[in-house]
Amino acid sequence: METTQITSLQTLNNFLSERDNNENVFFISDIPEVCKEYPCVLGIDEAGRGPVLGPMVYGTAFCPINESTLLVDLECADSKALTEEKRDNIFEKLCNASNKIGWAVEVIAPNTICNSMLSRSKYSLNQVSMDAAIGLIRAAVNCGVKIEHVYVDTVGPPEKYQAYLKSIFPKLKIKVAKKADSTYPIVSAASICAKVTRDHALQVWKFQEGLELSHKEFGSGYPGDPLTKKFLVDNCDPVFGFPQLVRFSWSTASKALENTAYHVEWEDVDEETTPPANTTSITSFFQMTNNKSTTKTEHSFFTQRGLSRKVEL
Amino acid sequence: MATIHIQSGKNNIESNKNDSKVHSVPFTIHAECDAQVDKYFETGVKKNQEDGTFTASFRGYPLKGARVELPEGYMGVVLHESIKPETEKEERKFYVVNNFKSFTYWNWGKIPSQADTIRQALDWLEIAEVLHSPLVEE
Repeated sequence: METTQITSLQTLNNFLSERDNNENVFFISDIPEVCKEYPCVLGIDEAGRGPVLGPMVYGTAFCPINESTLLVDLECADSKALTEEKRDNIFEKLCNASNKIGWAVEVIAPNTICNSMLSRSKYSLNQVSMDAAIGLIRAAVNCGVKIEHVYVDTVGPPEKYQAYLKSIFPKLKIKVAKKADSTYPIVSAASICAKVTRDHALQVWKFQEGLELSHKEFGSGYPGDPLTKKFLVDNCDPVFGFPQLVRFSWSTASKALENTAYHVEWEDVDEETTPPANTTSITSFFQMTNNKSTTKTEHSFFTQRGLSRKVEL
Repeated sequence: MATIHIQSGKNNIESNKNDSKVHSVPFTIHAECDAQVDKYFETGVKKNQEDGTFTASFRGYPLKGARVELPEGYMGVVLHESIKPETEKEERKFYVVNNFKSFTYWNWGKIPSQADTIRQALDWLEIAEVLHSPLVEE
């Protein structure tokens, strides 16, 4: 049976390994009754924005304002300052406090990230991130969480982001700040949910391409990590490039492909800049020419359809 | 322009393999080789249940695809040319290595439509048939 509830690291692993790692996955915990009754704080943070491989995870955690001391007891702090073991530990404790704390994550697949960044109408990583944050707040609202304060961690300039979020959620008190994960315990809790989910998503990663590799062989995913570099070199298919664990839209990945994979030329990339077919340059009318035109031009019916004659009839 | 010979080899066209999965893609790979299509491409193909179109990825680029059935009475053939011509006037020989009745064509991030060149090219078949069929006096 498919796992639908995450209440521990084990069920987190089951949940993640049962899903298609090529698509985004959303999870929201049961909402504690107290979160529906009393005004709550909600924190948002992300994990895995920089790495060239694996998903980017957006996380949220929320609890009643008057229960905030609980977060300090759980030792929620900046997830990057904690060891992996410590984070796993705190995550288990968060799950055990399910009568007071709720949480949610959106796992944004590496393939979704590059499809967005490489789409025709460019959809930037910042926009992907903001939409994920908005989705998390909206999910909590829809589940009946009585949100009063929202704290969001940001990598970019906080003012614009804050104004944007306020325009979408005018009733909420929203604070967007740099390094919010080390300032606000609720953001730290969100950060731990996001980071633990990303780490475990990598641990249980099954390659749809059938590669038999463990997460220990691809390293942290940061472009400077020697294990990650080796992984990119060893697992490059000359035609298709990398498995879909890799974010092709990262310059580390695209540069590696330029060097080791076959060159690929895309059709109609510069649609607007190519002149229309059959345009005659103005100077050609003044040129002396002796040979009468003997080549028959094909009717636009054929040229528009990409058809041309290859044999003499 | 040169004469083109198409040979079906020892086997008759009809008896050749016709399980070919043909993908028409919106890019050119500058290589002439076998590719692990089933492992790296087809594993990522997803069908949209609502309109029957497909999505897939190539090197991170989003692709949207549709299946095209060839008209009744027509057959697609996969050809192989072992000796590439050096001039335009040389005779060319192609061998039939496979055949197909349908194929999937892919656009970069655009939902396939009747306005796509490849669909429109198939219009010619119908017109050609009208133009070149012998006239029958009534």
